[in-house]
Amino acid sequence: MSFVHQDVWHWQIAMYLFLGGLGGATVAIGAMLHMFERCDRKIISAAVVAAIGFMILGTLFLLGDMLQPLKAVYALTNPRSWIFWGVVFINLYFLAATAYVIPLLRSWPGLVPLVNKIPVPILTLLERYNQMAALGGATAGFLVAIYTGLLISSAPAISFWNTPALPLLFVISAFSTGTAFLLLLFTFSREEGSSTIVQKLEQLDAALIVTELIILGAYFNFAFFLPTGARESAAILFETPMFVIGFLGFGLIIPLLIETYSIFFAHHTRGAATRMVTAGCLVLAGGFLLRYYVLHAGVFQYPW
Amino acid sequence: MARYGMVMDMRLCVGCQACMAACSMENQTPYWNGKFRTHVEDIEHGLYPNVHRELLPRLCMHCDNTPCLSACPSGATYRTEDGIIRIDYNRCMGCYACSIACPYDARYPYDRDDVKTAEKLYDDDLSHQVPHVDKCSFCEHRVLEGLTPGCAGTCPTNARVFGDLDDPESEVHKLSKTGKAKPLRPELGTSPKVFYIPS
Repeated sequence: MSFVHQDVWHWQIAMYLFLGGLGGATVAIGAMLHMFERCDRKIISAAVVAAIGFMILGTLFLLGDMLQPLKAVYALTNPRSWIFWGVVFINLYFLAATAYVIPLLRSWPGLVPLVNKIPVPILTLLERYNQMAALGGATAGFLVAIYTGLLISSAPAISFWNTPALPLLFVISAFSTGTAFLLLLFTFSREEGSSTIVQKLEQLDAALIVTELIILGAYFNFAFFLPTGARESAAILFETPMFVIGFLGFGLIIPLLIETYSIFFAHHTRGAATRMVTAGCLVLAGGFLLRYYVLHAGVFQYPW
Repeated sequence: MARYGMVMDMRLCVGCQACMAACSMENQTPYWNGKFRTHVEDIEHGLYPNVHRELLPRLCMHCDNTPCLSACPSGATYRTEDGIIRIDYNRCMGCYACSIACPYDARYPYDRDDVKTAEKLYDDDLSHQVPHVDKCSFCEHRVLEGLTPGCAGTCPTNARVFGDLDDPESEVHKLSKTGKAKPLRPELGTSPKVFYIPS
């Protein structure tokens, strides 16, 4: 047996997985907040527009890494491929998220003339079915977030990836980054009631980070006890300071401590906003580092 | 229809790498960048003084249950009626999903630089006109003319035996049924069509 580092998917694919998960989860959580909490429409619309931007950027990273990006028009040929489903989910996401956000853009006075250029029957339709579009965007966002993990976990020769824990880890991490991004935006909201949303987002993110830590624990426990490439990959990650200190330390544990402190002890103090911005940025950086190092630690187990 | 396969007799392989050279000549693989469709792995087992050397020729296993074909979104990877796994260069977008899915390291990128060099070297005979992911085709163009793949035809010790696995009269069928010939990593369930007789 020989263990060989995968050398075909690099940081560009890590970026695609990160931005795809972030974009998907931001719309999923944002739409839920909008439907059930009736929160600041300005912030929600900014979050959804940014999320669509993340998804476009992620797709560009993927295309840029291909040998023949223009041949991506053939990507909807084989439904047995996860990339086929990724293309379906991402396109549904773009459609639903765009339909959802257009009526919300009216909350920005500067954008009203632009929105009003859309023919009235279409605009009326978008207003009437806004909740349905929100639900569609949230579902597609969730599917995109989980697809990023399913894509990676379908490689039979990379035993560290080829586990049911990876899609779960990626989807929880995606929702944590989405929550962190919304937390960052809501920190700047001046609308009444936004502090309650911030509080809920903090609680949600803390719960997601705890879940992520539990999954990581189970995942590494499983990897270290397998006499396969998975053990090799887990050992590589534990010997990589940027994974241990950067991701586990600064990307998970420190934001969790900051959020726990805020939730229990100091929510209304003056430094709350700074703490939330710090925690949010760390969670986002951690989300990228997780994907980058999981790809980096992908080890083929060849029979020679 | 045939079900083409190969048996590698590792007792006979001398590691001369003529198969790699023949394949490269036949299929214009970018040898100038160290990229080949077939390799001969030189494996050492044990510690001095109890050491053992083994030569393992490898190429695409043309699996019956094909992870690369399932992973390819564009349909560029396809199976011929004779069970050969091929790539349509004009459909391949080079996403590498197939390379990640392949448990046998059978694929490599034929990138822009390789195509440029190939254009200079092969001129009108150029067979790789666009960048794509490349791998062994069992020299289907030769097989259709009744010849064996370049590697098998060149092997001076007949370590590579090619033929129809379903033809009871063929040598490859007989060798594959001896019980000595085994596929690589059968536990993955890929049902490879390349078998190995250990040395």
